[in-house]
Amino acid sequence: MVRSTYVTATGPIGAEGPYWDGLLAGKLLLPRCTHCGAWHWPAVWRCGACGSWDQEWLERELAGEVFSYTRTHHRFGGLEHFALPFSTALVTLNGLSVRLIGVVEGDETDLRIGAPVTGRIDHTMFGAARIPAIRWRLGA
Amino acid sequence: MIDPRGKVAVAGIGYRQYKRGSAPLPERGVLVQTIVDACEDAGFDPALIDGFVSYGDDKNEPVRLMPDLGTRELNWSAQVWGGGGGGVAGAFGLASAAILTGQARAVVVFRALVEGSSGRLSAAVMAHHLNDHMVSAGMVAPAQICAMRAQRLFEYHGVPQSVCEELIRANYYHGSRNPEAIAYDKPFDIAEARTSRWIAEPFRLFDCSRENDGAGALLLVSSELAKDLRKPPVKLLSVAQGTQKGWGDLLENDDADLYPTAGFGAIRERLYGQAGLTPQDIDVVQLYENFSAQGVASLIDHGFCTYENVAEVIRFDNLVAPGGKLPVNTSGGNFAHGFVHGIGCAVEAVRVLRGESANPVPDARTCLLAGGPGAPTISSAIFGAGDF
Repeated sequence: MVRSTYVTATGPIGAEGPYWDGLLAGKLLLPRCTHCGAWHWPAVWRCGACGSWDQEWLERELAGEVFSYTRTHHRFGGLEHFALPFSTALVTLNGLSVRLIGVVEGDETDLRIGAPVTGRIDHTMFGAARIPAIRWRLGA
Repeated sequence: MIDPRGKVAVAGIGYRQYKRGSAPLPERGVLVQTIVDACEDAGFDPALIDGFVSYGDDKNEPVRLMPDLGTRELNWSAQVWGGGGGGVAGAFGLASAAILTGQARAVVVFRALVEGSSGRLSAAVMAHHLNDHMVSAGMVAPAQICAMRAQRLFEYHGVPQSVCEELIRANYYHGSRNPEAIAYDKPFDIAEARTSRWIAEPFRLFDCSRENDGAGALLLVSSELAKDLRKPPVKLLSVAQGTQKGWGDLLENDDADLYPTAGFGAIRERLYGQAGLTPQDIDVVQLYENFSAQGVASLIDHGFCTYENVAEVIRFDNLVAPGGKLPVNTSGGNFAHGFVHGIGCAVEAVRVLRGESANPVPDARTCLLAGGPGAPTISSAIFGAGDF
């Protein structure tokens, strides 16, 4: 079992510690069951499909297509470090049934469901906390 | 197994609502008043309440109500899990379970919300669900998450956004005729909604429920006992809570076909099956709408329409009492009556079946209470008046 040192800025951490460690190291790592091969997101300790406790963390490419999106205009509490409006996209990664969420950067003209995107790793400020974050950019 | 249909009834209701930030007492004080209101409505001694149920992370632990109510014994104290309004109807299931099994005799379902005591509801709901994944993407409010799901409902599944306007108009129409409602006596022009400020696209301000201070309380007892109390019993015909595989608190990784829904596929068959009813048998709906699109999705989930025929069913004329075939939110709903975390929807379910609604539905015998849509754990209930 992989141990993580990541401390969350909000809420309790689950089994996804290595994901955060990966982002901090500049890599996207996602968990796959070593027994049945199922990808699990959110991360699990135990595969609910086959019962295995062995999950391996594999590097994946930050690329996929937009599953849905919203453009936020209202300054909700917690968005003090954001310039409004900004868009957030939920993206299905290429080749596996995992969706990851991130702010959209660059030209948003072609922002629609199904649009191809690529990502990079950045960080988001939340109060005084610095949270690793994905940024999506439209285009394959 | 006990057949629960019709064996437990709502005997009394209390509801107090204020502009956000203007309640005359702190939260627990408003709640005590509301519970006593419910007992006076029923003709029942508050000291004899022996059970309490709430939902949505309500902060008023029942033991703290005992000194004010004169509670003799507390036999049942429970809350449905979840930070949102998903548990509002499920709370009636907890109360009913206690009464049916003899673990409590008189159970109050309640929810209280006073900003000065508990802070903003939207912030509390989000704090329950907040995690670094969502925050890293600037997703800090329920409106944004529901907006993203609504976008998929419209753009990918082809539900016309105009049906949201129909629902909003129906709510404000009913609210404008309800003296208790925030929209009372105010003419409503849909153009105002269309041009209201953006919150999170595709939602503008009028697509969102706005919070009130207040409390609601509903006294439940066995239908046998209810017959001897002041008001005609409103019976609980069925209630179901749950979550299906592929739905839940999944970092927006719900199954693709479930993602734009409101989550009620998990309970639809149990809900109607237990009551022995179908959607066609429902006379009136109290629909928890946190956001317009989720209200529409809830009506679809509950079997009133489909992606294909949604525009034929969700029409203003069809949704308003007394002429519509599917009267929805006869008090004005969360949008136009007021929003105390949806407990007002439950109160209105009882009022409309008693004939006490500001927008009566003549001869209504069944009312569906559709709980908070899009929540990880959702719930709904069906109430009935008369012989069941």
